[in-house]
Amino acid sequence: MTRPSYADSDARLASLLLHHEIATFNNEYAAALDEQRLTDWAEMFADDALYVILSRENFDRNLPVGLIYCENKGMIRDRAFALKETAMFAPRYLRHMIANQAVLSEAPDGTITARANYVVLQVLYDRPDATLHQVGVYHDKFRRVDGVLKLAERRCVYDNLLVDNALCLPI
Amino acid sequence: MAWLHAASLNSIRDGAVVSADVGGTPVALYNLGGEIYATHGICTHALALLSEGWVEDGKIECPLHQGQFDIRTGKALCAPLTQDLRTYAVRVDGDDILVDLDQHGARPSLTSKKTESTVQPDKTAIAATAVIVGAGQTAAAAIRALRSAGFNGAIDLVGDEVHLPYERPPLSKDMLLGRGNLEACTRLSRNDADSLGVRLHLGQRAVSIDSAEKLVHLASGETLPYDTLLIATGGRARRLGIPGSDRAGVFHLRTIEDAAAIDRAFGSATHVAIIGGGFIGLELASAAVARDVAVTVLEREPEIMMRLLPRPLGRTFRRVAEAHGVDVRLNADIREITQRGSKLGIVTEQDTIEVDAVLVGIGLEPVLDLAVTAGCAVAGGIEVDAEGRTSIPGIWAAGDCTLHHIPKSDGRRVRLESWHNAEEQGAAAGRSMAGATCDAVMKKPWFWTDQFGLNIQMIGSIHANDMVVRHGDIDAAAGAIYRTIDRETGLLTGVIAFSAPDAIRQARHDLEATTPFVLDNVSNVVLADDESESNTSPSEISAMNAPSSLALTKRYLWPQEGLTRIPDWVYTDETIYEREVEKIFHGRTWNYVALECEVPNPGDYIRSHVGPTPVVVARAEDGSINVFENRCAHRAAEFCRELSGNAKEFVCPYHQWSYDLKGNLAGVPFRRGVNGKGGMPADFKTADHGLRKLNVTTHRGVVFASYNDTMESFEDYLGPEVLSEFDATFDGRKLKLLGYYRHSLPGNWKLYHENLKDPYHATLLHTFLVTFGLLVAGNRSLMLADPSGRHGVMASAKSDGKTVTSDAKKEMRAYREGMTLEEPRFMDFIDEFKSPWSVTMSTIWPNLIVQREMNTLGIRQIVPTGPHEFIMKWTMFGFEGDSEEMTRHRLRQGNLMGPAGFLGLEDNEAIKFVQDGMQRVPNGEHLVKLDPEIEAGTADSLISEAAIRAMYKHWRQEMGL
Repeated sequence: MTRPSYADSDARLASLLLHHEIATFNNEYAAALDEQRLTDWAEMFADDALYVILSRENFDRNLPVGLIYCENKGMIRDRAFALKETAMFAPRYLRHMIANQAVLSEAPDGTITARANYVVLQVLYDRPDATLHQVGVYHDKFRRVDGVLKLAERRCVYDNLLVDNALCLPI
Repeated sequence: MAWLHAASLNSIRDGAVVSADVGGTPVALYNLGGEIYATHGICTHALALLSEGWVEDGKIECPLHQGQFDIRTGKALCAPLTQDLRTYAVRVDGDDILVDLDQHGARPSLTSKKTESTVQPDKTAIAATAVIVGAGQTAAAAIRALRSAGFNGAIDLVGDEVHLPYERPPLSKDMLLGRGNLEACTRLSRNDADSLGVRLHLGQRAVSIDSAEKLVHLASGETLPYDTLLIATGGRARRLGIPGSDRAGVFHLRTIEDAAAIDRAFGSATHVAIIGGGFIGLELASAAVARDVAVTVLEREPEIMMRLLPRPLGRTFRRVAEAHGVDVRLNADIREITQRGSKLGIVTEQDTIEVDAVLVGIGLEPVLDLAVTAGCAVAGGIEVDAEGRTSIPGIWAAGDCTLHHIPKSDGRRVRLESWHNAEEQGAAAGRSMAGATCDAVMKKPWFWTDQFGLNIQMIGSIHANDMVVRHGDIDAAAGAIYRTIDRETGLLTGVIAFSAPDAIRQARHDLEATTPFVLDNVSNVVLADDESESNTSPSEISAMNAPSSLALTKRYLWPQEGLTRIPDWVYTDETIYEREVEKIFHGRTWNYVALECEVPNPGDYIRSHVGPTPVVVARAEDGSINVFENRCAHRAAEFCRELSGNAKEFVCPYHQWSYDLKGNLAGVPFRRGVNGKGGMPADFKTADHGLRKLNVTTHRGVVFASYNDTMESFEDYLGPEVLSEFDATFDGRKLKLLGYYRHSLPGNWKLYHENLKDPYHATLLHTFLVTFGLLVAGNRSLMLADPSGRHGVMASAKSDGKTVTSDAKKEMRAYREGMTLEEPRFMDFIDEFKSPWSVTMSTIWPNLIVQREMNTLGIRQIVPTGPHEFIMKWTMFGFEGDSEEMTRHRLRQGNLMGPAGFLGLEDNEAIKFVQDGMQRVPNGEHLVKLDPEIEAGTADSLISEAAIRAMYKHWRQEMGL
């Protein structure tokens, strides 16, 4: 049995750091949405980011339709702005739980492919129960912009095909 | 012989009665001055415990109907009793009372005087002949009185019914609850007839009386001579004089055969209507409720029993009925009874009520023609004196066909259609015919009715104008006591007691008073005549009648204002919902089920729905599209579970029954059994056991199904205007599936149609559109409704935000200049359609919305799951040949719609709010008055609800409401 080399050790540390970095990112992402800081949320995306929420039914059949379909940061900002300023929906609290986080690959251009499971709980003011509003998986691509991790792509694929009335806030 | 312990001596005080169970037999024990007596515990007339009765003067009086027995001998002393009570031998051993059920307690009667008046027969009456026409309860009473008064001549009894005389109260009570039979109702048995020497002429009609020759002519040609004649012809049920009142399923109640027919009708009915809110009507309603049949009582007057009783009493009876789930409709103006399939429709001024049977209880028409042939004075009834003598010598009359000899307080003489009156008048006439002088004091009119678990008794001559005073706090429930008082004299006229027999006993005494009744402020409450229901609400009454049954029926009365109001029950009622499934989704409608591009190849299938019903849409080998229920013909399993797929056949996983792509049953495992045993019967044919197949049509790549096999073409179903908008979207290009949204929506399904027939909300709810200058109220627009009112198209033409006029801006609550989108191109409209409109939302009745929101295209399919929720399935599509950029444009524009769309999420939330409002503040109505110039139909203004009104015009017609 040989000791791990320093090089191996560096690689494992780098992997650990990256995992930690993505976990920290996801924690902040969840906090921004849970606190309904939608402008902060929008800034976590790269300028050309793709943000789509689509059902597992559509994802599995390569059907592109999404509940929310944003092709760039401008559309993500428009979504955040419209939800804040114009949208009418009953007030509510959301709680995002992100788990099973995995870094799948790191491309030579620095794009990191990652995945995480999520659960979003929703509480309306007139009911005691938190309902399981959405359960699914994030299929992510991260990229560093000026040294800071940003989402270049987040496809939220949800398992519960039947949306409970309306999805009023992002996933 | 066995002496069994029955009770301890000290448990019965002097003058009391207690009940005891002796070896399983109910026994009543009495203490009469220290002597203990025992009788059977239950009255021989009706099911009542004698231990709850009244002991007086050596007699026990039954609590229900005031029959009296001699305690010592068990002898039945008066009507309604015809059968003596069993008595048992009693022995007292120390403190033990012992009873021997096998020994009669025969002892000499100590009651000194006979209850039937003892008279010396008039010599002239001896050997004479008495003829009685009409073989009912009155006749039986008269015959007994004739004989007990010493008449020993011949008695001829003529009746047009084939039965021996029977009493009618059980016909609307026990007979409908499976507890009665003819024998139990019979008032003069064959044995009685023999022993009383009665010659029976049953099933024979008397046609005329020759009072000069003293002859009765029968329809058979026979002639009966008489010395004395009693007319006791009673009456017949009054008929409705409206069209359709002779239809099968319309019943009257007078004879035992009528009761049997109604009993059978209850057996198969779920909802019956009773016309007439009188005592018979309410007893029928009570029986129906007991049989789990929903009841609607229709009363012509503003209150039930208005012509019989003071209004507060009618109201009290009504509240009891309503508390037990009876739907009572007052002021009901019935126009006609129509046939509606296997049901009957009662057409009233407001609506049509669909029921399984109609029971008519609008009173009795006295049969007077015979009395008229004899020349008797008749005025709505035969005029008689206290002894029953008519104006013609030798002729008496009694019972339902006669006027009571005592006028009411207003001087009118009326017929008393009661069991008690039949008994009293019959007996009085019998005595008189026997030549006896009548020494019996006429008792006060007395009446009882059994309904909704209450035994309600009334005594006295109550007038509809009398004041009503309630005794104590109990109202419309067991223990309630009401007194009626003449407003002028202040005298007590009557007492009405709800399961309170003691009050009736007391009343006999009180009614003799000649001084005004003294109202006491502590225990008496004067009831208001008008319906000021301030101190007692129906809910309080329900609480008092605990356990109250749930309301079985509900009022479905459309508001009088018409289509400008929509009542909440349209959206919240389970019965209405079930009717919608039957009449609309499973009725004469084309229901969207799929796009052809979802099942392009043979064997392709998708799961879909027609209304709430799951179906499979499959393409067969021959290219045909088939729609059948997703329910195995064997044990109902919903066999197809995948959302879509390709299959050669469908196999139910439970027992492997297999079906081909057209829904035909292909295989049944072990159909012939194993080793010659088991298996299906030899005559089992697979052809008879396929899946329920629906009628199918396609139009421009869109598939529709119907439960109705005689549907008009889809083109005719839409009508030319809506069809042209449909075809503008489905313009012949091949469709390309882009994906689905599915969501539940906690609101009534019709609210979704209404939302898209309500252009008013577009600029008010969807501030997104106006904030960014995308839609203004001044846009060119149209809210189209097809001539039937069921379909609609909401259409608008996009205008450039720069050209918004200042007037139009004022209409837009949220228009904010300078607000712009970072990516406004997603709102671009690429004009790809031959249509003047950039947006059309077509509502295709009953389950389809075609969305053409500029370039984002979709089908929305409504799947109702109950009155309060539906599921919406969105099928988004483009066209084959779309460039990638065009597809992406459609997807980007899709952000407007769906359950997370800028507009879509708001629609879903708003509809939920509406349902929440109705559920949390119920029993209200909606106001849909916008654009009054158009009653219902197409509007060219956005500020209009005319298309919603058009939809309800159609809906009401389909629902028969």
